[in-house]
Amino acid sequence: MAHPTRIEPSVLHELAMNRPVSKDRLWTGIAEEGMLTLNSNEFPDRKIEEWKFTNLKELKRTDFVHLDKAGVSPATDIEKYFLPESDRSRLVFVNGYFEEKYSSIGGLGKGVTVGNLAKYAGDEAVKEYLNRLVNYDNDVFTAYNNLMFDDGAYIHLEKGAKAEAPIQILNIYTDSEQPYIASPRMLVIAEEDSDLTIIEDHIGLSDNRYLTIPVCEVKVKQRAHIHHVRIQRDSLDAFHLSRPITYVEKNSEYHSYTITLGAKLSRNEPRVIQEDEEVDFTLDGLVLIDGDQVADTHSVMDHRFSHATSHQLHKVVVNGSAHSIFNGKIFVRKDAQKIDSFQENRNLLLSIDGLVNTKPQLEIFADDVLCSHGATIGQLDPEEVFYLQSRGMTEEKAKEVLTYAFALETIENVKVDSVHKLLIEEVYRYTKANSKPKVPA
Amino acid sequence: MLELKDLHAEVEGEGIEILKGVNLTITKGEIHAIMGPNGSGKSTLAKVVAGHPQYEVTKGDILFNGESILEMDPDERAHAGIFLAFQYPVEVPGVTNTTLLRESYNTIAASRGREELDPLEFDDYIREKLDLVEMNPEFLERSVNAGFSGGEKKRNEIFQMAVLQPSLSLLDETDSGLDIDALRVVSDGINKLHGEDDGVVLITHYQRLLNYIIPDHVHVMIAGRIVKSGGKELALELEEKGYDWLESLATVNGEAK
Ligand SMILES: Nc1ncnc2c1ncn2[C@@H]1O[C@H](COP(=O)(O)OP(=O)(O)OP(=O)(O)O)[C@@H](O)[C@H]1O
Ligand SMILES: [Mg+2]
Repeated sequence: MAHPTRIEPSVLHELAMNRPVSKDRLWTGIAEEGMLTLNSNEFPDRKIEEWKFTNLKELKRTDFVHLDKAGVSPATDIEKYFLPESDRSRLVFVNGYFEEKYSSIGGLGKGVTVGNLAKYAGDEAVKEYLNRLVNYDNDVFTAYNNLMFDDGAYIHLEKGAKAEAPIQILNIYTDSEQPYIASPRMLVIAEEDSDLTIIEDHIGLSDNRYLTIPVCEVKVKQRAHIHHVRIQRDSLDAFHLSRPITYVEKNSEYHSYTITLGAKLSRNEPRVIQEDEEVDFTLDGLVLIDGDQVADTHSVMDHRFSHATSHQLHKVVVNGSAHSIFNGKIFVRKDAQKIDSFQENRNLLLSIDGLVNTKPQLEIFADDVLCSHGATIGQLDPEEVFYLQSRGMTEEKAKEVLTYAFALETIENVKVDSVHKLLIEEVYRYTKANSKPKVPA
Repeated sequence: MLELKDLHAEVEGEGIEILKGVNLTITKGEIHAIMGPNGSGKSTLAKVVAGHPQYEVTKGDILFNGESILEMDPDERAHAGIFLAFQYPVEVPGVTNTTLLRESYNTIAASRGREELDPLEFDDYIREKLDLVEMNPEFLERSVNAGFSGGEKKRNEIFQMAVLQPSLSLLDETDSGLDIDALRVVSDGINKLHGEDDGVVLITHYQRLLNYIIPDHVHVMIAGRIVKSGGKELALELEEKGYDWLESLATVNGEAK
């Protein structure tokens, strides 16, 4: 396959060229689709409205390689990231490849299948849904994942099945001499009346550069419930471009909480699409960034039928010269009545050099809806700082307490104890490190 | 214990002078009341003593137990024993009353050489103080002042005072917003807390408070200065005559203000 000449090839295109779709790949169709999309679409730049504030220049300039499983350096000392609640419901992926020896499954009870996608390629649900739920138009990153992924997390709950423990999907990224690209993949199918909790964690073990493009497809069938926590703790030199998409059927619930702590540049594009009436979904986020980190969230909540409740609280703390971007699209389609949608983006700027771009975007075509939305950007209130100081706290401590209080709200609803604790610790660590005024070196 | 000497203060960076030479001496065991028209600088005075960074002292001095505290941060002043009950208590969403009090109590205790309390002891201690101001324990787990009614906020300030045991309490219009019963309860609390080793400054507009808490001295502040001082009968006189008759005292050497 040759490049159509109008496309300026990027590193993604070049890597794709070097890896023609071989006959013995599991998902040749999906890979070919990826190749096609890649070959006919440009790498995004800031001339495109959707990428106006997020500069991919450095990513584009990096000389990434594709690592085969054999080329991945081993992950060591990762037990500390295992959740105690998930000691028999854990899948571990290293640079996107399934790592059997760290994984542990079987503690989930009847009707719950958890394992490597490659092993379940023949499953009906995999055949039916894999890559069928992805809907990111001509996104070259999703296309790249389609072309490259060999493994993935597969979670399937039969009708009425309840996962007895939270399922941990642990994505580890190892050190490497050359920057590499990882293509983690997830497929979650919750059949009618099922119930599960997923903890998806991305952890960079070192401070090296890599690019990860996690693509996650979730289907929540009638009356099923999913609680999905996503923690991003990538290396501070990494790029993280994630595409998690969820479809919610009648009377179902999907609640997700995304915690963004790491990566040099992250772009999270969660989408929730309503497929029938009476649904309830959450797309909350907490972003804590510092230094020269960039964290971009472009979300879509698509209300297509009547009677939906949706909630998006996106809280951001920015320090140093970090940059947060939020674009939250809320669609309410024609005839989708009685929608109760809440969206709020609250930003706390701790430094003068920090930057925040926020754009709630409501497109409402029905008339009987209740949509509240708002965005605020502010500093710590000096009156609050003084009040706490007058009660004996040092200025540092007062700022720490206030930042902590600001951030805490978004993680209150995380149900798994050890994760809740972990997040509190992360928030605490961040606020502790950031309560001191930053003096330039 | 507190000596204000020709204290001048202005809004930081804006050159608006608010305190124009305040002189005041408070001795251990005394209760002072400061009254005066709206905007005369009473709250500013209290905040300047507590160390609010918004105000800059341009002249004069504040001595606390004989030493200048001008260079001290607000938390250091709190550690030294100064407490300000705010006219408008600040809401701090996300920080519970207990968290604030435990943190405050222990840092203040540590710096004043009192023993820190372990969580159980602290719990008992807190209960006792709640009773003192007849406050519902439910308020402990609520965010500081968030959504509190006006009166509840004022009561919460005195509760904090009870817990922190300051040696100098500046109570800025604590009576405003309290209903008749609450005023009695809170006043009783303040009286019980007051002893011969500490000083209290009551900023108020209403003589009625002074029936409950009897001041040793009453001062009138007008246009950034204390223009008249007297005993508790001065408050009654003000109640009757208002401030007009004192306005002329706000001019010095024929120069307005
Ligand atoms: N930060 C500020 N910036 C500008 N003006 C200020 C500031 N703080 C106080 N002032 C002004 O200083 C004057 C004194 O204010 P202050 O709050 O001390 O009055 P007060 O005597 O407590 O009045 P009240 O009885 O109404 O509570 C007022 O005119 C007020 O507007
Ligand atoms: Mg006042």
